[in-house]
Amino acid sequence: MAKRTTALTVVLCLAFIGLAQAQNVKIGFINSMTGSEAPVGENLTNGVTLALEDLAKKGIKVDIIKEDDTGKPQVSMSAMEKLATRDKVAGVVGPYTAQCGYAIARVAEKYKIPLMVPVAAKDEITQQGLKWVFRPGATSYDYAEIVIDMASQLGKPKTMAIINENTDFGISVGRGAKEVAKKKGIEVVFEESYFKGSPDYRATLAKIKAKNPDLVFMVSYVADAILLMRQSREVGLQPKAFLGAGAGFSVAQFAKEKDISNYVFSSTQWTPDAKWPGAGDFGKRYEAKFGKQPTYHAAAAYTAMMIMAETAVKVGGNRDKIREALRAGQWSGIWGDIKFADYENYTNQNKHQMLVEQVQNGRHETVYPPQQAAKNPVFPFPGWK
Amino acid sequence: MTVFLQAVLSGMLIGGVYALIGIGMSIIFGVMRIINFAHGDILMLGMYLSYYLFTLAGVDPFVSVLIVLPLMFVFGTLLQQVFINRILNALPQNQLLLTIGLGLIMSNAVMLAFTSDYKILTTSYSSGSVTLSGVSVSEPLFISFLVTAALTALLYCFLTRTDTGQAIRATAQDSQAAQLMGINVRRMSRIAFGLGAALAATAGALISPTYYIYPQVGSIFTLKAFVITVMGGMGSVVGATLGGLIIGITESVSSVCISSTWKDVVVFVVFLLVLLFKPAGLLGKSRM
Repeated sequence: MAKRTTALTVVLCLAFIGLAQAQNVKIGFINSMTGSEAPVGENLTNGVTLALEDLAKKGIKVDIIKEDDTGKPQVSMSAMEKLATRDKVAGVVGPYTAQCGYAIARVAEKYKIPLMVPVAAKDEITQQGLKWVFRPGATSYDYAEIVIDMASQLGKPKTMAIINENTDFGISVGRGAKEVAKKKGIEVVFEESYFKGSPDYRATLAKIKAKNPDLVFMVSYVADAILLMRQSREVGLQPKAFLGAGAGFSVAQFAKEKDISNYVFSSTQWTPDAKWPGAGDFGKRYEAKFGKQPTYHAAAAYTAMMIMAETAVKVGGNRDKIREALRAGQWSGIWGDIKFADYENYTNQNKHQMLVEQVQNGRHETVYPPQQAAKNPVFPFPGWK
Repeated sequence: MTVFLQAVLSGMLIGGVYALIGIGMSIIFGVMRIINFAHGDILMLGMYLSYYLFTLAGVDPFVSVLIVLPLMFVFGTLLQQVFINRILNALPQNQLLLTIGLGLIMSNAVMLAFTSDYKILTTSYSSGSVTLSGVSVSEPLFISFLVTAALTALLYCFLTRTDTGQAIRATAQDSQAAQLMGINVRRMSRIAFGLGAALAATAGALISPTYYIYPQVGSIFTLKAFVITVMGGMGSVVGATLGGLIIGITESVSSVCISSTWKDVVVFVVFLLVLLFKPAGLLGKSRM
């Protein structure tokens, strides 16, 4: 009997210690860890891993609860519900894709949980007047704006063709490109969205070639970007510049296909070359730890997690106070200056400085804007070899 | 005009590959009355095989056909013997479930082994092309079209000229009568499934230099093969060839004349029209 009592006491003590430790502020993290978006999702996970290391160094203790949405909006929504009702987290960072981000923004609003969306770019995510959704990353309009902006400064393009994938991100950026073109007085002579996964885009590209546009603007994920450029070369499509909107055009795999990717421009949110404090070091640290170059997704997830965790701990995990602190605060780091503001019809949107990179000799080089550039842009497109 | 010619030509070249996929499915259906929904996944295995033969052993994807074809033939016969053979007289929905299940196992096993990363096979001629009076011809696609044409011709000769080929056709026409005439129907079924698998995998190897490779790539092609087979007349080799070319050209021409957003709509409208006027398919004979 005495033994039993002792055992019970020990168990109870342990339980109390456990409870005491669980006092840490809880942060949810939703990401596409498996499924077809997993190759990019991995970057976000790694970014958060680095953020946790840095938080520990600063003595900030948080518990992270990770949820996998497999890239599907409905799974993302139920993950958000779980984090809100069962885990009662103070705030959530994620998810990765535009359609997931768009889907869970309203769930966050319903449960009044601060949600920080790192990279999902669909304009509407912060355009619905939602009070609890914050985005440090750029909007899909920004993706189109920076690269067309650069092209119109380098040359005097008059016509442009737009071809985009028919996903949330693709359609949203394609629409942005059309608006930007209108503002700059560039005529859009061709506009089409396509289903991804078709083995043959030659007919569409031949049609673009017949219109002979000065610029060709493309929005695609990884594999289609390579396919589109290969077939552009085949049909001899040769505009003054190929412009890509991040995603498939900004990954290392694309740059490695030198024959077809050389001199292609792409907008991006972040590069290790960027002259923001700590960006270069972050790149080196990431490469040392994970054995590959970080994409902008990693830097965005790192930044979002740092801000969310620091803010949440500072105010003791109270959701209302976190929201107020996020709206009032200002940050500066590897992502540049961050301030969540209301402008145009956006709410809690950071005006992020986009960059343009160009593939030169099989490497992505930052070429625009001039104050961030590491290399000079090559314009116009010198032609196929 | 050049744009239109370009569309017809590239549609025809890609249609040749579609035809090869369709023929395989059609032979399997003809002999066993089974719709093989693992067809696209077998094609995916062919892609991975030629990818690794190229990256690890330096075998050119077009040469690798010589390895992929016999290997996948054996794989197909084994698949038939171990799984398909058991359900030849089962309910159609059970046959469907089995082939779909086999396909899922293949794609997920590949995902487990090689991750879900996209793989791109880049050869020196991957984006090479020859321009003929304004129309560009993709080199790798042109070679694969030639290989496809040669294979189809060989297959046709095999089915019409050799004893085994004739036995396969006899089984396809009436398996009971064939058995009464002393044909080993089980053996014919094995050969037919082996042939179907070999053709699908070969198609995979042929498009691997111009396409990209990932574990779930098969589903796109299973659907295409199914449409081609039904359109051409289930069980008809010539019909499947015709169906493949029609689908390829329709896709390509409709994306030029209308828009690539609408090309699948056009393909399926054409498909429905064919079925409306020829319910058994272009060259099919209706069987009751």
